[in-house]
Amino acid sequence: MKFTFTQEQEEFRKEVHDFLEGELRAGTFSTQSRGLVAPCSREFSLKMAERGWIGFSWPKEYWGKGRSYVDKMILNEELMKVQAPIGYHFLADRQVGPALIAFGSDWQRETFLPRIAAADEGIQFCLLFSEPNAGSDLSAVTTKAVKEGEAYIINGQKIWNSEAHTADLGWLLARTHFDQAIPKHRACSEFVVDMKTPGITVRPIINGAGEHSFNEVFFDNVRIEQRYLVGQENEGFKQIMAQMDYERTGMERLLQTYPIYNLLIEYVKKMSKEGESREFYCWARDQVAQLEIEHNIGRLLCYHTAWIIDQGKKPSSQAAMAKAFCTQHEQRVNDIATKIVGPVSQIREDAKWSPFPVDLATCYLWGPSYTLQGGSTEILKNIVALRGLGLPRS
Amino acid sequence: MDFNLNEETVLMKDSAQRFLQKKCPSSLVRELIKDEVGYSKDIWKEMTELGWLGFIHKEKYGGFDGSFFDLFILFEQIGRVLLPSPFLCSTVLSGLIIDEAGNEKQKDEYLRPIIEGEKIFTTALLDENGRYDANDPKIEAAKTRDNAYVVNGTRLLVPYAHVADGIIVCANVKDSKAGGSTLFINERNADGQEKTPLDTMSVEKSFAVDFKNVKLPAESIVGAPGKGERYLSKILPKATILKCGEMLGGMERVVEMTVEYVKQRHQFDRPLGSLQVIQHYCADMATDLESARLITCQAASLLSENIPCEKEISMAKAWCNEAYRKATWTAQQVHGGMGFTEEYDLHLFYKHAKASELAFESSWFHRSKVADAMGI
Repeated sequence: MKFTFTQEQEEFRKEVHDFLEGELRAGTFSTQSRGLVAPCSREFSLKMAERGWIGFSWPKEYWGKGRSYVDKMILNEELMKVQAPIGYHFLADRQVGPALIAFGSDWQRETFLPRIAAADEGIQFCLLFSEPNAGSDLSAVTTKAVKEGEAYIINGQKIWNSEAHTADLGWLLARTHFDQAIPKHRACSEFVVDMKTPGITVRPIINGAGEHSFNEVFFDNVRIEQRYLVGQENEGFKQIMAQMDYERTGMERLLQTYPIYNLLIEYVKKMSKEGESREFYCWARDQVAQLEIEHNIGRLLCYHTAWIIDQGKKPSSQAAMAKAFCTQHEQRVNDIATKIVGPVSQIREDAKWSPFPVDLATCYLWGPSYTLQGGSTEILKNIVALRGLGLPRS
Repeated sequence: MDFNLNEETVLMKDSAQRFLQKKCPSSLVRELIKDEVGYSKDIWKEMTELGWLGFIHKEKYGGFDGSFFDLFILFEQIGRVLLPSPFLCSTVLSGLIIDEAGNEKQKDEYLRPIIEGEKIFTTALLDENGRYDANDPKIEAAKTRDNAYVVNGTRLLVPYAHVADGIIVCANVKDSKAGGSTLFINERNADGQEKTPLDTMSVEKSFAVDFKNVKLPAESIVGAPGKGERYLSKILPKATILKCGEMLGGMERVVEMTVEYVKQRHQFDRPLGSLQVIQHYCADMATDLESARLITCQAASLLSENIPCEKEISMAKAWCNEAYRKATWTAQQVHGGMGFTEEYDLHLFYKHAKASELAFESSWFHRSKVADAMGI
């Protein structure tokens, strides 16, 4: 076993770090801590594309750089520590790319992969999976895709679609087989859909933090050409399960609260000098040390998952473990930070008395989303129990 | 980053696992806990022959210059079967202390036979309250006119004191010039050592040792007077991580036993393991175990490569303390009444988890060390 990085990896980390320092100094972006998907900035994505950092771990023959997932984890760790604005390409890079490489047609790969890697205009993706009656039970989707000649006609409703209001393209799961005798997980298909297609309506949902991040998306006789069907008809659910492992691999699930965490450490360092009671300081110190242990374990779980992918293996159980562990840790970071900082931690944004330059109150308010999106903690535990431990289905 | 064990380590691990499974069934562990000697001399002899006792020691004293990481993996295997033996206190702790601080004469006289399994040593480092006090030991060593020392005081929870050929104590030398925390070897035949067996949760035989006017010659000092704590602080982290390895092995067995049990135990006409609440308990245990494995292997690997890792060691012990104990609690709950019987093995691990948590410092202590390392 080896728990250190190679010299090349350390140098690469430094390269990314230095680039980000430069961007921060130049004021290209500032560090915020909010939802999962960092802010969108195509200009920033273009800078990353120039450096070859989009499609970093895709195979070279698919417009990628062929780098390992561990290398990509290093890149992501540095980006996410400062919450760099990678929202424009993030989803396409993480999920759409690998899915197209695994299941897509040559035409689809040629059409989308080079444009994603180049952060071209009109290539921001959103996911169109969940429905009002298909949340954790994703295979229960009822949005219909009915074949009509060389096209599919889509009717139905999607929900919790992050960034659907800014995205150019959607990654859609819809039902394509209507025989009730067929198991529902063998009745869905995946499509790429242009969000500007007539018949698509995107309606904002304001989240519990008071912000517009996700949406409802309605499909009213939306026509999708057959060539936008990804992979096999009726195999969409299986394909999505495979994609989910990639979705759950990343450090975005550990580092959403990193800026808060960092500020908290600095805050506790100063506590003893600033006249806080000895008992409270000792308590805070103990809490932060526990968070540090969790952070380190979360980091190892993420790198382990990436390493498993690099070994050519499926990380289903480990990815589920990593996501469940890390997102619960993130919630605790917010909670402990508010407890230590005290009543003023409620004061939001840029007020004279806001405790941190990053909005702790808003970050805390985003907390519930961490353990829901991309598979709730409960679904993830099911995966660990069934696929990891081989327990019988309930 | 490489999360695979290398080939040599896998070979060693597999053969150690086979050996221990064959030689140390839980029936033997139960016998040894009740037995007066408390460990199997036969297994001890075989461990010596297998080279385990000299694993990380230098060749010139009969050791094999093996990797520390492999020794850690070996302790993981020991934890899986809960083999009671003086391995940790004698070969590792005492052996490494003598290697670190002792002179050549002491190494020939003690370290070599320790590695050869001929002599058993132990350490007596906890005061009458069970606290580690090497920084300012409550046990005193008064210098005599004939250049000897008279030791007085009590040490608790001394493993295998009854069979020890030597007990290493860290005593406070009352001397204005070269005093303070100092390591001494108490040979078996030194008068004034009174050993009281303690009935504890540990699989190790444990004793209270009263030192009553034990007169020790100056040659029994290990290293320089006043530096006892400093030597110990170099060796204890290694022992701590090996203890974590043992805990990791124990935790593996607890998770395996529980998963097996819920697959075969039927209630409500279905396997317990098909119930989601049970599945989630098991998933939590498995996640805690995986976390323990990663954070502990990290520390062992860094230690093995001589990379400073005080913080990683403390993170590992703090995590293992909680994770192992929690796993045994969950396992007990899931096993129901059966798990709470003498006949079933679970209580052995339940005890081991608590005894190990209490050994080599608490989670709070280690979190405090983590905070130190963070500059808080």
